[in-house]
Amino acid sequence: MKKDDENVGKALDKETTRRGFLKGAGAAAGFVVATTAIGGIRPPLAQAQQPKPVMKYLFVERQNCTGCRACEYACSMAHEGVVRPAASRIHVRKYKGIVDVPVICHHCDDAPCIAACPLDPPAIRKDPETNGIILDSETCLGSNCLRCQEACPAQFIRVHPDTGTPLMCDMCGGDPECVKACAQQATDPLAPCLWAGAGGAGVNMSFRKVTPDQAAKDLINQMYYPNTDGKRR
Amino acid sequence: MAAPKGGYFGRILVIDLTNRKTSERKVSDDDFRKYIGGCGMGAYLLYSALKKGHDPLAEDSPVFIGTGPLNGTSCVSTRMSVVNKSPHTGLLSHAEVGGHFANEIKWAGWDGIYITGRSRKPVMLFIKDSEVKFIDARDIWGKDTEESEELVLREVGDPDAKVALIGPAGENEVSFAALIVERSRAAARTGTGALMGNKKLKAVAVRGTRAVPTVDVKKAYRAMEDAKKLAVEREGWQGIKRYGTANLLEMKHYGSGSLITKNFQTTWWPAIDNLGAEEAARTFWKKHTACSNCPVHCMKTGVIRGGKYDGLIAEGPEYETGGLLGSNLGLTEFGGMMACIEMADAMGLDAISAGGVLGFTMECVQRGVLSAKDLDGVDLKFGNADAAVEMLRKIAYKDGKAGKLLARGVKRMSEEIGKGSEAWAVHTKGKEIAAHDPRGDKGRGPSYAMGTCGGDHHEGGDPKTLARWAMINSLTICSFVGGYPWGKETPKVFIDMLNPLCGWNMSDDEYWTTAKRIITLERCFQVREGVRRKQDILPKRFTTEKLPEGPKKGAVYTEEDTRKMQDSVYAYFGWDDDGIPTDATLTSLGLDFAMADMQAARKA
Repeated sequence: MKKDDENVGKALDKETTRRGFLKGAGAAAGFVVATTAIGGIRPPLAQAQQPKPVMKYLFVERQNCTGCRACEYACSMAHEGVVRPAASRIHVRKYKGIVDVPVICHHCDDAPCIAACPLDPPAIRKDPETNGIILDSETCLGSNCLRCQEACPAQFIRVHPDTGTPLMCDMCGGDPECVKACAQQATDPLAPCLWAGAGGAGVNMSFRKVTPDQAAKDLINQMYYPNTDGKRR
Repeated sequence: MAAPKGGYFGRILVIDLTNRKTSERKVSDDDFRKYIGGCGMGAYLLYSALKKGHDPLAEDSPVFIGTGPLNGTSCVSTRMSVVNKSPHTGLLSHAEVGGHFANEIKWAGWDGIYITGRSRKPVMLFIKDSEVKFIDARDIWGKDTEESEELVLREVGDPDAKVALIGPAGENEVSFAALIVERSRAAARTGTGALMGNKKLKAVAVRGTRAVPTVDVKKAYRAMEDAKKLAVEREGWQGIKRYGTANLLEMKHYGSGSLITKNFQTTWWPAIDNLGAEEAARTFWKKHTACSNCPVHCMKTGVIRGGKYDGLIAEGPEYETGGLLGSNLGLTEFGGMMACIEMADAMGLDAISAGGVLGFTMECVQRGVLSAKDLDGVDLKFGNADAAVEMLRKIAYKDGKAGKLLARGVKRMSEEIGKGSEAWAVHTKGKEIAAHDPRGDKGRGPSYAMGTCGGDHHEGGDPKTLARWAMINSLTICSFVGGYPWGKETPKVFIDMLNPLCGWNMSDDEYWTTAKRIITLERCFQVREGVRRKQDILPKRFTTEKLPEGPKKGAVYTEEDTRKMQDSVYAYFGWDDDGIPTDATLTSLGLDFAMADMQAARKA
């Protein structure tokens, strides 16, 4: 009898079971993805392995976003030292109360923001190690210029409420805080909507062309079919 | 009277709609520490601003939208509390609502918005940090909440702004109209929508760019992170993550025998299988939605595919909306229930009161007291979803004889109809009650009968829980996060966050004393309006009719239960035998300013 109880106890110990699964599957997993209950995509399992590789790109599975803004909280904590979503780099936009669109930097390989900077050398550069976009706030012309903001195809760039300089995503040195915050929010039944990868796989270059407004339209169309305009009736 | 060091900005935005002027009301750290914020601060402001018998719809009647110290910090899921004298009950009422609106108020540098006066023309407000704009809202007036929100966002030109607004029900001053926040969340049960409609205030949009001042950032954020871990780890809340509160529909039917059914005639409704969480998860829900920083994401939206309501996008069902506008109306089909819920949201109605009114009317029809002839030809029978949807629209516009009648609420309707309908008029203190039958779930009895507002399911099932709720609603925190508001972690988990945030040295004792102060002050307001022991009761149906079937068959809320509940609450909070706070209690809580009113009430 006693032995049975012990076995039941072990089977119920979720923590152990789950970790074991990760260890076993992680090595061979690579880019294995799993579909969740509502159809989202889980991030690569390899993420849990040590040592952590430097992440160079952000990805987003918009269907999974709950609009909780934990990413904004984490981003402003990391860069401003306080919770201040208005100064967060990443931001989440809500449409019609039914879809949420996280707006991220795609760390484009051709970086239109850097190309648009009128200064020589530009006030914006890309860290070759982490792919993070770094702004030199000393030389940046700030609110007098903002050509980088116009050039960003994803409409990611906002300006700092105090200084007026553009808010750029520096990938937090290769281990983005927003991604970690999203993972903490997204325990079952929902997978995270944000994740990071070491390679862009070209997806970032194609994904960036989708503006938040367009993304919202796509999401409504995709999730709320047959009601393709999202109007409640 | 020092200004707050952290957690608060120390200022409340005062809006005078009559003169289109704004000003700033300074609030000291002492006052915040005494009343915390949210519903506690609201009770304090309204107690001093209003006299006995003040008309809730008078020009100078205030609406207070209050935040708490934790709003805008990394604390999980902070909400807001809307406090006003309800035109529905004539009593002090508070409504809590989630979303992001409250945090935007805080980030704009305010601890709350205090709105008085009355505009001549429809107007809306856009608050961006310290700047307040009055914007003409004549083009938006008359539109439902969906269209209005789109128009408001376009008008203010800031896609990151958050909006709270009223629908046609508020514009037409239906006394149970709600304030709708971010399209689907309702600050209801207070008649705030009617007040705003009376003030011709269609919407408030807020956008803030600041950060909340914090005394010891490292310590405070550490404590908030620890609290969040509790929220993430608690298995008990996994059901809420998956199903929202909708799975309570099944639970209260099969388990606790307290599912409101057909205007409280029974709690057994087998058709709940077609209305509940499993049906929603299987056929309807497409998305989870969360409040600020919350890992619980209890709100769900979805779309109906196929059938009569093909393409209907709606938010819900939650337990209350699904109960009141589902099993309460005898509905058996999911699409019809969602159509009712969406209609209530679109019109800006309080789904609980609206459901109570419809259930009461349907029972009147069942018992032959009313007929389709009295109801503008609408066949309002139990089970007729289409009729219910049509009637919700008529209530919001006070359309026809039926719309005008139903917009009055259950209490006044039964007074007007007579013919014995008081027997099934289910309300406490004039307010329709929420979806938990107190015969099956006795803990809801005190919440409905003893809670400040009346008929409210979120007030607490015993004296200590009433105190817990007072703090939750004043800190404006959500009760779902990890369950720690209920567990042994309270008050430690809150005090650990508050002390480094605000620079306080609050103790456990002070926490509970603060709770008692807030409840007692609210009680003083209600006593001043005439509430005594004889109003602290449940509707007759619960004390006289036994549950006919279901897991709690035969249960009844006895007179004895009622007396015990009243005595225990009065004793715990230090109120006298008639429920009036004693002089000694008032002095010990620092509420001497209410003493004269209470003495006068005792003589009256």
